[in-house]
Amino acid sequence: MEADITIIGLGPAGLQAAIHASRKKVKVVAVGKSDNSSLNKAEVENYLGIPSMMGPEILRIGREQAKGFGAELFEEDVIKLAKEGDDFVTVTDQDREIRSRAVILAMGISRAKLNVPGEKEYLGRGVSYCASCDAGFFKGRPVAVIGEESEAAESAALLTEYASKVYWVHRGLKVSQHMLDKVKRTPVEIVEGKPVRIVGEQTVTGLELEGRKLDVNGVFIALGAKGSAELALEVGVLPDPSGKITVNEECRTEMEMVYACGDVTGTPWQLARAVGQGCVAGDSAAKAVRQGR
Amino acid sequence: MEEIEQIRERKRQEMMKGGSQGADWPAEPVEISDATFNDFIKKYPTVLVDCWAPWCGPCRMMSPVIDGLAKEMKGQVAFGKLNTDENSKTSMRFQIEAIPTLLVFKDGEMVERLVGARPKDDLSRRLKARL
Repeated sequence: MEADITIIGLGPAGLQAAIHASRKKVKVVAVGKSDNSSLNKAEVENYLGIPSMMGPEILRIGREQAKGFGAELFEEDVIKLAKEGDDFVTVTDQDREIRSRAVILAMGISRAKLNVPGEKEYLGRGVSYCASCDAGFFKGRPVAVIGEESEAAESAALLTEYASKVYWVHRGLKVSQHMLDKVKRTPVEIVEGKPVRIVGEQTVTGLELEGRKLDVNGVFIALGAKGSAELALEVGVLPDPSGKITVNEECRTEMEMVYACGDVTGTPWQLARAVGQGCVAGDSAAKAVRQGR
Repeated sequence: MEEIEQIRERKRQEMMKGGSQGADWPAEPVEISDATFNDFIKKYPTVLVDCWAPWCGPCRMMSPVIDGLAKEMKGQVAFGKLNTDENSKTSMRFQIEAIPTLLVFKDGEMVERLVGARPKDDLSRRLKARL
């Protein structure tokens, strides 16, 4: 499908950007999972004019507002973002492809760690958070991927090209049928179970689940969706080592037509900052698109 | 305080002249390989080797940090870059299974191993503690 602006992220920054851009008479498509926004787990007491409101309710109203102004919203994970000529191509876990003139990165910062014994100790000695970076180190060896969502599915499928055996360990899958079908076409063994410990000597030798142990040399922790830093890199934006994306006063990144807002641009990770930047990014991107017409 | 600074500067100058066999300190990271690795880590008293690969996003995020520190810490720390894809011998020797991995050497001996991208301030602080 075609759009003027694709917004990645359905948290407060992305929704506010969608509201402001849509009101400028440009076609806006916003994709992401509202449930994965940190606001979804929060009760808000420090936002101007709102003494107390639950985060999910703010997100629900925000989605309706954005749709009311004409934005199209899709509750889908983005698995790929690319620049093709003057356009940006966004691909989701439902195999939806959106081609747009501008893109707004508003997918928040992932803070998900597995928090099991061995995770920290074996980081870099079998434990990895980046399958695309480290798959090559596990040629011909067995590995496990841990996660329930699209990043785990993508990582598991990728690892089958290198590892001798790939287990995909989850505690209840939350992936699209499209992604699940993609994995099922590979030799990945899907294992439902709760990881309790990563064990090893010098390097990882196994992953203990409740009631079962997997003999693996690699454990790839891939919780949630593809990270903001990786998506930014796919369109030539270089985040700092903490994953923060630098923007100017228009919320534009170092790349033309690529904007960013909310937690991805730094702290404080607050609703007020997210919507403030969402407003700026939405307005700026819409203005740039209209100027380019 | 001024006197301490002068002593520090004199020591630094001495180090640059003779403290490391008269080596020329690089102001930018040096591309090293399996063949040059051993010589490089022994050539300077303090060395950081950035183990990376071109396809690795977090490695690219670290690149400006390494470049900046190489310039700022010239004469104190020498920075090397080892492409793990092309230099599997060294990668296996140090059991590198994730990138970026930063290896810190003091007089040729590994003293610290850091995995993953990290902010410039953090890396700078860790290196200064090793001088």
